[in-house]
Formats: sequence, C-alpha cells, structure tokens
Amino acid sequence: MKSIRARLQIALIILVALVSLLAAAVTYRRVLSETSTLFDYQLRQMALSLRGQVSLAPRIEVPPEQGDTDFVIQIWDIFGARTYLSRPGLPMINQTVLGYADLSLHGEAWRAYGLQTDAGVIQIAQPVRVREALARAAAERVVIPLILLLPIMIAAAAWIVSRGLLPLRYVTAEMQRRDVRSLAPLGAGNLPREIEPLVGELNRLLARLREAFDAQRAFISDAAHELRSPLTVLRLQLQLLERAPDEAARLEARGRLGAAIGRAIHLVEQLLTLARSDPRETAADFAPVDLAAAAALGITDTRDLAAARHIDLSLESVPPVALMGDAEALRTLVRNLVDNAVRYTPSGGSVKVSCRASAEGPLLEVSDTGPGIAAADRERVFDRFYRRAAALESGTGLGLAIVKAIAERHGAHVQLDDAPGGGLRVVIRFPPPS
Amino acid sequence: MRVLLVEDDEMIAQGLQTALRQAAFTVDWMRDGKSAAAALQSPVFDAVLLDLGLPHRDGIDVLRELRKRGDATPVIVLTARDEIQHRVAGLDAGADDYIVKPFDLDEVMARLRSVLRRAAGRGDSSIQHGNLRLDPVTRTIERGGAPVNVSAHEYAVLEALLQRPGAVLSRAQLEDRLYGWTEPIGSNAVEVYIHGLRRKLGADAIRTLRGVGYFIPKS
Repeated sequence: MKSIRARLQIALIILVALVSLLAAAVTYRRVLSETSTLFDYQLRQMALSLRGQVSLAPRIEVPPEQGDTDFVIQIWDIFGARTYLSRPGLPMINQTVLGYADLSLHGEAWRAYGLQTDAGVIQIAQPVRVREALARAAAERVVIPLILLLPIMIAAAAWIVSRGLLPLRYVTAEMQRRDVRSLAPLGAGNLPREIEPLVGELNRLLARLREAFDAQRAFISDAAHELRSPLTVLRLQLQLLERAPDEAARLEARGRLGAAIGRAIHLVEQLLTLARSDPRETAADFAPVDLAAAAALGITDTRDLAAARHIDLSLESVPPVALMGDAEALRTLVRNLVDNAVRYTPSGGSVKVSCRASAEGPLLEVSDTGPGIAAADRERVFDRFYRRAAALESGTGLGLAIVKAIAERHGAHVQLDDAPGGGLRVVIRFPPPS
Repeated sequence: MRVLLVEDDEMIAQGLQTALRQAAFTVDWMRDGKSAAAALQSPVFDAVLLDLGLPHRDGIDVLRELRKRGDATPVIVLTARDEIQHRVAGLDAGADDYIVKPFDLDEVMARLRSVLRRAAGRGDSSIQHGNLRLDPVTRTIERGGAPVNVSAHEYAVLEALLQRPGAVLSRAQLEDRLYGWTEPIGSNAVEVYIHGLRRKLGADAIRTLRGVGYFIPKS
C-alpha cells in the first residue's frame, strides 16, 4: 500500500542526510583552504624568523610546540651545501625552490617555502597530510552533531507529516460515521485547500446517494401501501369463498378471487417495471430501435382489452422511425399509454396511435375520445398511484408514472393536451438521433 | 340494519357488500366523498364503513361534517393508512373505530356489531325480549330456548322491531332497513316477512297497528 506519510517521512530523512553530507563536504573544503593560507603564513614566518641564524645553523633549536606539525627545516649555504636539516633521519629532497612550492617525496605531498638570505637559503616544509587531517577534523565536528541529531529530526519529520495529514484523518473518520441512515454532508469547517475539493465531491456524492435512498424509501412505502388494496380484496374473496352459503355464491367468489389475483399480479408487474425504469439510470444499453415497431408491439399487448371494451384501436406510422433506445422499455411505454387511453375511453370510442419522424426528432402520439384531463391535473397524473376519479376500469395508478420514467430515460418530453375531437392527447417528443 | 359503505376500490366494495348482505345487513355503496356526504343527509343508516382516501372529498372531511351536524351514526374508518397519527386523526375526527386494510372479514363484522351495540346503549350484543332472544353474532333467533329458522330478511325485520319494543315501524321504515337504494323492492315483501315471522314465532309476537305499521308489544 502506498503511504503518503511514509513517502514524506523517507523524503525528509534523505533530505536531512544529504544536507548533512553537503555541509560536511563544504566545511572540509573551506577548512582546508583556510588552514592552507594559515600554514603558508606560518611557513613564511618561520623562514623569516630563522633568517639571522643561517650561519649558526647547527645550533638552531626547533621550537618544541612545532614538533607535531612535522615541519622540516633545511638550510643551504651560499655554495649550495646543506648546512642544516632539522630532522636528520628524514630523507628530504635536496632541492631548493624559492617561494611557495608543492613538492612530492616518496609518494607524500609536501608544502614548502624557500627564502633567499645573504648567507644562503632557508626552506621550511610541511606534509600536506597534516593540513588535511585538520580539515577533516573540522568537517567531522560539523557532521557528527548532525548525525547525533538524526533520530530527533526523524521524530520531528514524522510528527510534522502526521500533523499535516490530520485533515485526511478527519475526513476518513467522518466518512466512517456515514451509512445508509446518516448521509449528512461533511462539515467543511477550516479544511485546507488541498482537501476541500475532495470533501466537496464527497458531499455531492452523499447528496446524490441520499436522494436515491429517499426515492427508494418513498417508492417502497408507496408500493407497500398500494399493495394493501389488492391484498384486502384477496383476503375478502378468500373468506367469502370459505363461507359461501351455496354453490352460486362459491362460484362467484372463486371468479372474483381469480380477478383479485390477476390484479395483484398486474400491480406487482407494474411496480417492477417502474423500479426498472429509473430515469437516473444511464442509457448504457441503448441500441438503434425502430419506434414504429415498438409501437406496433405495444398496441398488440392491449388489443384484447380494447376489443373487450369495443374501442377502435389504430396505429398510423411510416416505419422505420429510428432512434437510440431500449426497445423493450419503449414497448412498455406504448402499452401503458394505450392501456390508459382504453381504460378512460367509453365503450364505442377510439384510440389512435401515430408515430413518425419529424425535423425535431421522432414523435409518438396517442389520442383518445375519453373525458380528457383538466389542465390543472395534468402534472399530478404523472405521480405514482394517482388515479383519476373518472376511471371506468380500475388501474394501478402507475401507468403514466412508468411512461414518464421511460420517456425521461430516453431524454424525451411528455406533453398532455386536448385531442382534436375532445379527449386526451399524449405527445412524446424524442431527441433527434445524433 | 342498514350500512353505508364508502369505498373507492370497486373490488373491495363488491366483496364487502357480499359479506354484509350475507350477514343480513342492508348495504348502500358510495364510491366518492361527495356522494357519501349526500347519502349521509338521509337518516336511514345504522352505521357507516368509511374509507379515507376518496376521490372528490376526503373521508375525514365527510366524517367531520357529519359530526358537526350532531349526527352520532356509528362510523368505522377502513383505511390503508396504519400510522399512529392517521389513526389518531381518524378517531379525533369522530370515528368510532378504525380498521386497517387488509382486514379480516370476521373482525370487520365484530367491530360493526360492537359499534351498533354501543350505539343502542347495550352491553350485550344479543337482545332478549320475553321468551325471544336474538343473537347478532350467530344471527340466530331462539324462542323459549329453541332455535327458530328464519330467512335473512325475516331476521332483519325482527331485529329492527326488537331494537325498540313498543315503537311502531311503518312499512316504509322497514323497507328502508331491508333494501338499499339501488335494490328493487317487492310490492308486498314486508307483509310476506311479517307473515313468515308470525308463523314461526306465534301470531301474537308481532302486532299490527292498522294504517300505521308494526310493533312488538313492550312486555
């Protein structure tokens, strides 16, 4: 698992280590260059201080404090013969160079200063190793405290990172407290700029979830409520069947029980259809559909009811009327529209379905010769379980709600108005196929 | 006993009517609030079974109006709404009882008898008068302890007369108890039922006040 915290902490520790090393290197370089200048100055001062003693060379006394600096003093007379070597055992270069010089002897680097006097040449030499040891010691003095401080810095880095990530932990804890029953938005109080868009998105998601859950709850509550009526009929007819006093009553009760079962099944089917045509669902399974063919199938489904009620049912279409959609859902839409029209149209009336492609997009029209719907009620009829008082055949009150849900899923607009010969006309305008 | 059934669901109303008629009730059915309120202007009903979710006019509204008029006809609310606040609202509006759908037919009948009994000011639902005993639960009649077989219409006539012994009920009043508004009335049906009852219970059980009506003597 990737951890921002671990990554930040490792990055901070590596940074601290790199800075320590860099500081040590810079210190080393600088101390080296500074000690060089200092030692060079010292070499020259020593040479100058020995100037008067060249002739007394064998009796020169080397200051004891300079013993550990490994200075080597050589003196030559004016004839070029070495008259003095401070450390006789040491194999020194018998070579005089005036001024500063870098010399090499048996693989060891030396720094020397030669001074010309009246009596000869004085040369003071010192191994470069001594200078470097000094610089190293100075660099170590810088790095060691940094290394000793490393655990403290790691702890500090961990703390800083943890503190910086606190808002994330707050959001996590808040989200953990959310479930189906509590989908309240997260408080945006004082969140850093980096977290705020995330919380905003989460809140939008929570709001959509809440809306969906509320809709589901309302739907289930409505459905449970609506199921009571067919269940009441079932129970009533069953009890009437049980207590029927004679064969005629028994036959009648049995017939009515059958009708009650049919009604309960129809309601459950309509509820399922409505649940499946949630307009919020995406149109992922849309395919090219011929609306005219879907209309023809939808009309076939309602032919029997229309015939039983002596209603002239006709379809007028010029196929194909192409659009992108769900063929089965469109058939259901037409069936519900026609079923609704047939139920509200008095016997002997007519229901006309027409379907065509227009410049604005595919168009579906269903008009009947029923009583129509008053303008004031035209919005309410789309509500679930809303029934008009004038129903001649009891329906589920779901037909137009299903029509609307399917239409919305297809991006279509449903319009109710008066049919030319009185009655209701429903016009569904689909968006033009793109 | 005549009951007004107010219910917009045709299938429920049909089933209830059958059940009530089998229990010797006379039933009138109204399917919306407006016509229910109009029907309740007439004082012929002994009880009302009232659905609340009605077209045109809500059942609660119809009930309030009835009580405002001072009409104490027993009302049982039949509804699919079972939340406490709905029950309280129904009872506060003047309902005598509250039954939630889907109901049990036996329960509806028992509650109906119960509100009728209370309306008549009796603790026991059976009526005892002399050696006659009428039990509305079993819809049986006993004479001196022996069961008497009567038809549903004969039972309804006897029940009406036994409600208030001594009170004279006209033929029209008895017809009101026997037939709903939509039912055809036989020309001399009441006389036929009275005759049948006298044959089974004794000629003196029901007296005739010529030109006025029928009554059961007080003692």
